[in-house]
Amino acid sequence: MRKPIPLLVAALALLLLVPVAFPHLKFVITLAVAKGFAALGVALLLRGGLISLGHAMYFAIGAYATAFLGSKAGVSDLVLLLVASTAVAALAGLVFGAFLVRYRAIFFAMLNLAVSMVIFALTSKLYGITGGTDGLRVAVPTVLGWAPGKAAFDGFLFYLCILLMVVLGWLVHRYLQSPLGHALSAIHTNEVRLEYLGVSAWQTLLTSYTISAALAGLGGALAAMSIGHVLPEFAFWTESGHLVLTAVLGGIGGVAGAFIGSVFLEILHTVAVGVAAEAWNLIIGLALICVIFFLPRGIYGLIEARRGSTKETGL
Amino acid sequence: MPKPKFRLAMTAAAAAALMTGAGWAQDKPARLDLGVFTFLSGPSAAYGLPGKQGAELMIERINAQGGIGGVPVSATYVDEAQGAEGVIAEYRRLAEGGRAQAMIAALSSGNCLALSPLADQLKMPTIGWNCDTHQLFLKDQPDYFYRPNGNTIAEFMAYTLYFLQQHPEVKRVAIINPDYAFGHDAAEIVKATLKAVRPEVEIVAELYPKLGASTYQTEISRLSAARPDVVFSNLWGGDLENFVRQAGPRGLFRQSAVVLALGETVMQRVDLPEGTIVGVLGDGWWMSPDARTIGEAEPFAAAYREKYGSDPVFPTIKMANSLIVLKAAYEKAISDNDGAWPDREQVVAALEGLSVQTLTGTTTFRDDNDGVVDQVIGTVGRAEGVDRPVMTGMVRYDGEALLAPVGQDPIAWIGTLTPDFLADLPRPGSYN
Repeated sequence: MRKPIPLLVAALALLLLVPVAFPHLKFVITLAVAKGFAALGVALLLRGGLISLGHAMYFAIGAYATAFLGSKAGVSDLVLLLVASTAVAALAGLVFGAFLVRYRAIFFAMLNLAVSMVIFALTSKLYGITGGTDGLRVAVPTVLGWAPGKAAFDGFLFYLCILLMVVLGWLVHRYLQSPLGHALSAIHTNEVRLEYLGVSAWQTLLTSYTISAALAGLGGALAAMSIGHVLPEFAFWTESGHLVLTAVLGGIGGVAGAFIGSVFLEILHTVAVGVAAEAWNLIIGLALICVIFFLPRGIYGLIEARRGSTKETGL
Repeated sequence: MPKPKFRLAMTAAAAAALMTGAGWAQDKPARLDLGVFTFLSGPSAAYGLPGKQGAELMIERINAQGGIGGVPVSATYVDEAQGAEGVIAEYRRLAEGGRAQAMIAALSSGNCLALSPLADQLKMPTIGWNCDTHQLFLKDQPDYFYRPNGNTIAEFMAYTLYFLQQHPEVKRVAIINPDYAFGHDAAEIVKATLKAVRPEVEIVAELYPKLGASTYQTEISRLSAARPDVVFSNLWGGDLENFVRQAGPRGLFRQSAVVLALGETVMQRVDLPEGTIVGVLGDGWWMSPDARTIGEAEPFAAAYREKYGSDPVFPTIKMANSLIVLKAAYEKAISDNDGAWPDREQVVAALEGLSVQTLTGTTTFRDDNDGVVDQVIGTVGRAEGVDRPVMTGMVRYDGEALLAPVGQDPIAWIGTLTPDFLADLPRPGSYN
């Protein structure tokens, strides 16, 4: 199967040049990649035909885990923070997923929304613990004994995000190619037949749900370090909607779609805010309508179309 | 590829730029660019927009007088409604892209908390124009972040002391604040103050309606049933207007004395019953005696009315005062620098301990970068020659007296006050 690898490599090379060409976009791209992980989690579930309207909660869980581990448990190492925060988010995904993946369609979407709003309420109301709407500060972590200043750390984090995007993107791609990944798509096409084949839909979905939560949690942890502050609004339902939008806009045909969508949206946002401080909402809205109207398969659909093939997509 | 000749010219130009840069490191810029952060969309714009208009007008007036040190000022406005990430991205874009030499940020306390470490990292002089959480300078001591308008401790202590002075018989107090950090912080300060100076007062209701709630009927029922002598609230913006409109017909203002901490911002938009206690979270009442003595607030207000069709409210004045503080810092830095244009470090050095006369009083920076301002509070009433409600029976508390000493936990400090504290304060009506 031919894959759009040259195009993606070119896009990646462009991304790597960002800190050199546009230093102030470094933060925007770091954040875009971090959110891209969460959007990838949403896209994963979309493969199985499930829309989660609450995935921002795992993003927030990852972010708050980083903040708590840093401020309360005294963990300052980046690797430890990332691994632990991802694990916390995955655990939360496993627990909530155990009952959430029993539901389908609108019920799945709404229950995810409900749980995420509980998390939002907890982060904003447990004032003494979470700092309420003022949020918590995240200190600059150390990297395996190296204690960089904030500027050096920002540069490091940018390249780390790109590296993680490539490595984890490839792993998720491999997962989607595996029997487990195909079973996930099969849930969308014919769940009953899948069960008759002897594959448990519940297990298949729970695995995918946990992976998607872990991805979102990792994104949250990266975002927390990049922003240096965590706020309850990370878990708000509009953020969850934003993630679904990112996934759909980027295109769920391939793993790269989520990141393409995320980078596109963040840059669009930055440009719109820079151009018109009072009409940025309008500009973003119009741009989204255009994309949805003219690119029904998302931006990734453009890359697919270039291949001129209707084959089931891979990367 | 540029043509060789063009490249040569470019190289020469670049070299020239480098040389001038090395020769006169702090040459006067063509203009001074500021990033101004406030809410421009969403419900919070009800409060944020008067701030933005204040900045527009103040910058216009500064430029009309020759700018800052002869350099005209221009501003890029950033909408805080895009959330903390967007605010940080914009702050970085303006700072790292060289599009701003100083910032006026921000309205929201959450955003100030997120921005203050960033100000230090990017070495960007930042004036916190509105955020007033006392948490801001509690743990961290940023070098580049200054807040000329003081903090919540003085603001909400002042209201509590005022209503205790005005209604000495008060026994039952109810609190209705928005359900986020600002509302909870204020409630904690009011309760701590009451406990210290009037321990026998009972809190009979503590309600936290959701931010942006459209109906307050349930809360009003509970307030009526609790029969409080005083209702304290720091609701604001559209929430406050809704609350006043719904509470008025149900007789809440007749049953209890009502304290609306941000009441001055809606005085022109809803009918606040006479006797309602309002204030300006600082000294930013443009009709106050001090403002009249200084003499700049009235022409400012007249120009504002001319331009925007209404009187300025205190967010407008806070913003205007913040710009005055920044201007003063630049001017001091210029004179410290023998007339040469200062770099950012010199601007920040000038802010240290600076004392500035603003439109409405004086602000003096303490060691923790918090500006000490007086607290002006009054009650809604009528004044001769003014066709709309104004603040009457005013008091002006000394700002210094209502702030915990630098480095002390403010809530614990309030706990050390005694009932005598109240007796030594100026009386309501003493400031006219």
